[in-house]
Amino acid sequence: MKKIIEKLSYIFRVAIALLRGFYYVVYYRLFRSDVKIKFPFKAFASVNIIGPGSVSIGKNCSVLKNVFRGLTIITLSKNAKVAIGKECHLGGLTIRCFNHVEIGDRVMTAVSLIQDSLFVDFNKANSIIKNQQIVAPKSIELGDNVWLSGYSIVLGNSKIGKDCVLGACSLYYNIELNEYSLGLGNPVKRAFPIDRILNLKGAS
Amino acid sequence: MRGFIAQLRGKIFILICKYFRKNIYIDKGLKIYKKLYIEGNGKIYIGRNCVIDGIKGDKSQYVSIDTHSLDAVIKIGDNVGLYAARVSSKFQITIGNDVLIEESSIVDTDFHSIDKSRGRPTNENKDKCQIYIGNRVCIGVKSVVTKGVKIEDNVIIAPGSVVTTSVKSGSMVMGNPAKPVAG
Repeated sequence: MKKIIEKLSYIFRVAIALLRGFYYVVYYRLFRSDVKIKFPFKAFASVNIIGPGSVSIGKNCSVLKNVFRGLTIITLSKNAKVAIGKECHLGGLTIRCFNHVEIGDRVMTAVSLIQDSLFVDFNKANSIIKNQQIVAPKSIELGDNVWLSGYSIVLGNSKIGKDCVLGACSLYYNIELNEYSLGLGNPVKRAFPIDRILNLKGAS
Repeated sequence: MRGFIAQLRGKIFILICKYFRKNIYIDKGLKIYKKLYIEGNGKIYIGRNCVIDGIKGDKSQYVSIDTHSLDAVIKIGDNVGLYAARVSSKFQITIGNDVLIEESSIVDTDFHSIDKSRGRPTNENKDKCQIYIGNRVCIGVKSVVTKGVKIEDNVIIAPGSVVTTSVKSGSMVMGNPAKPVAG
């Protein structure tokens, strides 16, 4: 009996998420021509997309609540472009984009930050600092099947290969991770090949 | 319009502080875009043309400035932008002119002791714990500046940094703990 109730409750939650997702798809289609979300889109938590740039989200994506947050995408310039692939599970993710952020398919995120510039108010920061150049916003690429763990931060000029795991509280800046590797540390200096780690533990 | 309302809010706040909260001294030109929450009985000085705002896209964030003792002093210079920042002082925090602080914490005390009692820290005093932030400093999101740190002029603190040691002029630091990096 308990299992039946649980299953019914799950079906009900998914139905509400689909309806909510449908609302977001239609809302952005009507009021923001530069924001394209493909259906089906499951929204278990809130989705906020603001700013003048363009955003696209592939089909079969879900937004889940993670540490009280849903999905927030802020484009900070007219030329900003955020592209999210299909079948992604985005929980508590915040994206702040000046330039270009590309997220592959089947990416999974916990509460984390993807920001392609060192400062949200990049122009103000540039006007403050003398005798030092603040690096201009550079693109960020996350490959397919990447797992972004809790409280991690990915900053500009970072390219994360497919199947990578980004450790909790880690920070990525100006780095390229090879496929299927584990990134740890703040900042991450080198990545560890996951198949070697699995072999050490004797898991495979 | 938004700017006008922020200026008006700033002027009202300055008036309120002038008559009802005499431990807070604010110079002219304050702009308040998001809530400014000031708590405690220590002295707070805010310079000219400062901006109080949240981080774009995050509706719940605001700026919090609090003092945890009567002797605590927080001095904020001119043209400082506090964006969802938290400044919390038991001793003294000095922030220079033309500083940008985004979604970060500046805290000059540990609040609790590391021994099991979790009481107040016994080895803290003003000389050891006060924080000094120079002019033309930019502090990126999700950073923490801890007690006893001196950040000189013209410094960049990258996002996600935990600054535990002093930072020399003209450098950029990143990481936990924050270390100098090439831009």
